[in-house]
Amino acid sequence: MMLRNVFLKGLRDQRRGLVGWGVGIVVLVLLEAALWPSVRDMMNLEELLANYPEPMRELFDLEEFTTGTGFFNVELYSLLLPILFLVYGIGRGARSVAGEEEAGTLDVLLLTRISPVSLVVQQAAALAVGLAGLGVVLFAAVMVFSPVFGLGIGAAAAATGSLSMVLLGIEYGWLALAVGSATGRRGLAIAVSAALAVAGYVLYAAGALVEAVEPWRPLSPFHQAVEGGPLGAGLPLAYGWLALGAVVVVLAALPVFHRRDIAAR
Amino acid sequence: MASVIRTTGLTKSYRGRRALTALDLEVSPGVVFGYLGPNGAGKTTTIRLLAGLLRPTAGQATVFGLDTVRDREAVQQRIGYLPGEFVAYRDLTAEQYLRYLGNLRGGVDPSSADRLAKRLDLNLADRIGAMSHGTRQKVGIVQAFLHDPEVLILDEPTAGLDPLVQREFLALVREARSAGRTVFLSSHVLSEVEAVADMVGILRQGHLVEIQSVARLKSQALRRLDLGFENLPPAEVLREVSGVREVHLNGSAVQVTVEGSPADLLAVAAPYRISSITTHEPDLEEIFLRYYGQA
Repeated sequence: MMLRNVFLKGLRDQRRGLVGWGVGIVVLVLLEAALWPSVRDMMNLEELLANYPEPMRELFDLEEFTTGTGFFNVELYSLLLPILFLVYGIGRGARSVAGEEEAGTLDVLLLTRISPVSLVVQQAAALAVGLAGLGVVLFAAVMVFSPVFGLGIGAAAAATGSLSMVLLGIEYGWLALAVGSATGRRGLAIAVSAALAVAGYVLYAAGALVEAVEPWRPLSPFHQAVEGGPLGAGLPLAYGWLALGAVVVVLAALPVFHRRDIAAR
Repeated sequence: MASVIRTTGLTKSYRGRRALTALDLEVSPGVVFGYLGPNGAGKTTTIRLLAGLLRPTAGQATVFGLDTVRDREAVQQRIGYLPGEFVAYRDLTAEQYLRYLGNLRGGVDPSSADRLAKRLDLNLADRIGAMSHGTRQKVGIVQAFLHDPEVLILDEPTAGLDPLVQREFLALVREARSAGRTVFLSSHVLSEVEAVADMVGILRQGHLVEIQSVARLKSQALRRLDLGFENLPPAEVLREVSGVREVHLNGSAVQVTVEGSPADLLAVAAPYRISSITTHEPDLEEIFLRYYGQA
């Protein structure tokens, strides 16, 4: 059943990774949620925060620490969760075509009815579904632990939070898939995607601190994903840019993959 | 009859380095074509071009008249292909792997994997990651034959197989030929090609240096004869016969090496009353080496 086509095989290949990553996300959410009661009960939190230098307060949105939603936005959704979704997306994305080519399994796979284009599209879909699965786990963990520790995060906020993480993972995961398909090199796909992820984060962070960079900030996928939230930000239009960016990189890679030589092992 | 495989001026360079130069080749239907050459001669490059995995730098290749670049998908559906370094998913069992490929190819007889595996003595329930190199190669052979393709393109198919399995593989190739299939197989070991091929092409440094039927090639081969005589002829008489390359006198026996037919030699030798003849089967290895070994 799971071996009927490339898409289902792509899901099958992810099942172990998804379980591990899912457990990691649940544990992370649990630990952060368990911290919340003590953070909330710090009597002089606002005084304490006022003593932090202004740039630090801006970058880490320290004022947000006064609500459970804000606490999670700063502590989880600005860096830790994006890293988890990015590492998963980039790792899988680089592996699904370039990894098969380097391992030598791609040859026989292409000597079927599968065209290079359909291979990439099916792998992209499998990766998106895998990341969506992690998003659902994240949503469920937040919905379970928020009432337990009194964070007060609503279902709508938890849903957009998950959506933004999934979209960020897809953007960079598909980028890795695209670079891997276009070049056949897994290491290069990981390096390029990771470098662009760091660049995106630097742009996002610098934009908060340096006024001259500020206008460029919306170009950063991190900005698009987490600005104003992501918990409680509603459904910002910027999510559309994430999805569009992901589709564009894959579309750009298709003709290159279609036309290039497949490397022998 | 139209050729199944045809290449015209097929050329491939990698970053300016020529791997294959202006290959012109035709393989007729129902023929087993042995593609020979030392490692690095361009065999794998040719095969990957035919399989549509590489794009020619110049020239073109067609399979059933379909261009391997323009009609790549159509070509790839019609061939059974074994790569030179066959690798399959380590986490799957052979059965799962073959089922997956069967699903991707469509129209595969579900019993054919079992039938082929039985013949090659392959246990389909084993995980591919736990298999030895030779056993993995069996999986590669089974997947190439799995969908009963019209053309089989096999890169060094017998690498790593033990002699018994090798024999069974050659039987599979012969059966495919009897069923009208065309087989293109490469090797750097002549004997295994000699056993099954109708035609051979010899490749050297990216150039096709010979293309010939095995029968023709054998007729040109060097043949060694041990002749016993009642009246020993002078060595010079034998040496002057056309085709004779070497003569060694050894008591009342003479060892002669002849290229091609020994008819003239025997006609000259007959008057000296031949008492015994031992002929040694011509060895293509020697021709083969002449093309690239001693160069």
